[in-house]
Amino acid sequence: MIKQEVEIINKLGLHARASTKLTQVAAQFSSQIWIERNARRVNAKSIMGVMMLAAGKGSKITFEVEGQDEEPAMAALLNLVNDRFGEGE
Amino acid sequence: MHGVGVSAGIAIGRAHLVSHALLEVAHYDVRPELLDFEVNRFEQAVTTVREELSSIRQSLPNNAPAEMGAFVDTHLMILSDGSLSQMPKSIIREESCNAEWALKQQMDTLVEQFEAIEDVYLRERKFDVVQVVERVIKALLGHPNQAALAEQESGMILVAHDLSPADAIQFKQHQFAAFITDVGGATSHTAILARSLNIPSIVALSHARNLIQDGEMIIVDGQQGVVIVGPDKDTLAEYKLRQEQWEIDQQKLKRIKQTAAVTLDGAAIELHANIEIPQDIVQTKAAGATGIGLYRTEFLFMNRRDWPDEDEQFEAYRKVAHAMKGLPVTIRTLDIGADKQVNPDSERTVTNPALGLRAIRLCLAEPQMFHAHLRAILRASNYGKVKILIPMLCNLAELKQALQAIERAKQSLKDDNIGFDAKVPVGGMIEIPAAALGAELFARHLDFLSIGTNDLIQYTLAIDRTDGEVAHLYNPLHPAVLQLVEMTIRAANKAKKEISVCGEMAGDVRLTRMLLGFGLRQFSMHPAHILAVKRQVLNTELSKIESLVRKILASNEPEKTELLLSKLNA
Repeated sequence: MIKQEVEIINKLGLHARASTKLTQVAAQFSSQIWIERNARRVNAKSIMGVMMLAAGKGSKITFEVEGQDEEPAMAALLNLVNDRFGEGE
Repeated sequence: MHGVGVSAGIAIGRAHLVSHALLEVAHYDVRPELLDFEVNRFEQAVTTVREELSSIRQSLPNNAPAEMGAFVDTHLMILSDGSLSQMPKSIIREESCNAEWALKQQMDTLVEQFEAIEDVYLRERKFDVVQVVERVIKALLGHPNQAALAEQESGMILVAHDLSPADAIQFKQHQFAAFITDVGGATSHTAILARSLNIPSIVALSHARNLIQDGEMIIVDGQQGVVIVGPDKDTLAEYKLRQEQWEIDQQKLKRIKQTAAVTLDGAAIELHANIEIPQDIVQTKAAGATGIGLYRTEFLFMNRRDWPDEDEQFEAYRKVAHAMKGLPVTIRTLDIGADKQVNPDSERTVTNPALGLRAIRLCLAEPQMFHAHLRAILRASNYGKVKILIPMLCNLAELKQALQAIERAKQSLKDDNIGFDAKVPVGGMIEIPAAALGAELFARHLDFLSIGTNDLIQYTLAIDRTDGEVAHLYNPLHPAVLQLVEMTIRAANKAKKEISVCGEMAGDVRLTRMLLGFGLRQFSMHPAHILAVKRQVLNTELSKIESLVRKILASNEPEKTELLLSKLNA
């Protein structure tokens, strides 16, 4: 199991579109993926959970990945967040 | 019926009602032996909706905005989410209830969770959940979503409770003459879609869907925000005429977009735009505005619990300054308090917010926030022709404090080696009668003045703008208001300082000539009014209106003022 904290840096935060992308990426891997923020833990493969995290710009979330493909899964998730979900700002 | 007109124009046609399935959800018990059947029915409905959404996704035209596709993706994912596609099945079994009711209950639970979210944007996503659920319920009830569109007839007026982005995409491919909805605002999907299609639209009609019958003849006047249901022959004829005139007029107006605003006797007039968010630039440019006369900064500060930081503000201001390519951009410092509250659940309640801690008063009371605000504006001045406008000035001491705050912000930027326009002009809003009476003094200490007529009228006549009971007393033509406006313009002109009017009066073509007669040469208004005002300017000869304008100023009787005004505009 690997854990990693990351800061949301895109302007709009984990809004609907970013949540969609995150859920889509998470769904590509067989590992169990959880996101934790302020003691709230949700399944990254459930868009409803991700949206309800309400992670705005500047908030920190922790990915918890467990499974066969946990390494590439974590890399893909971090990449997505750090790439501002491809939104450019 | 009255609503909020979000896209101008007039449409006449038959109503096409989009059903609001959620209202029709019934609750009934299902016998134990039929529960499997009920679960199966639910699964099929989900599958049907998934197919519907996928087919919408695929049929998106190439030129559709990227957001449209993303919205449909989000809806597809919400649909597939266990909390919507699985949970209701357990509810059906546990409560032996029908599928619709199970889904409705699950939706209510989800919506409740969304409502607990602090972030406004994310909280609004509950509507996405509702829209997806609505589709499933329609499928369950056997109202397929497309069937409604089978018999298409151009000229139909769409009447809905609300439009989801997916609905909007579907409807885009059909020729509706207008959209009207029960809920929504100027930035709702309905409004954006209507403007992109250039058809009239009215939102926030509250009960349109219940009061209008399918197939009924209705008239939609997007400019006035009025819907007329079942018009008689005369009304219909009148609106047909108005519709034709409006269309001819729009074509004519477009032709003067590039024309310089000059009166018949050669006086050049500046016509600027009032904007609220950087995206308003598009409309501003389309209207051929020669600058931004009022950039309201408060929208960045509203509906949130914290202040936006300096960088976030700078980014918004820079965008506008840059986009206007050297044309003036007048940024008004924060004007909140009164009818525009920052924090929606602020504890502080005052009996008279319009007379309370607002605008410059609030800024001077929050020096740190004001400092960051001013730094952000000054930094943006490096990217275009920025001017700073201070709202709600009431006395000289306030003005001096504000000027000192600007100096401090400048000094701190110098210390940090950050560039800005050292000569950025600073002006003041004249909207308190005391300031209008002291306009001469303010003009001496400032680079320009701008009259905010909405507040000036409210304060002069003691009419609360937000109180419907006294709304009829709100009168821009009240002699006292006219005198204060004229007096301010005269004082600024005498001091050789720029003066503009940026309230509603500036965008009212009935008043254009009168204001020109008062000596006004700069108007700032909603971009939608610019071309009409420009046409009035082009048709005005200053030397010919002078004596009538003087008579209006001297008139003490409303009827006489109205008469003189009609004469002036003839």
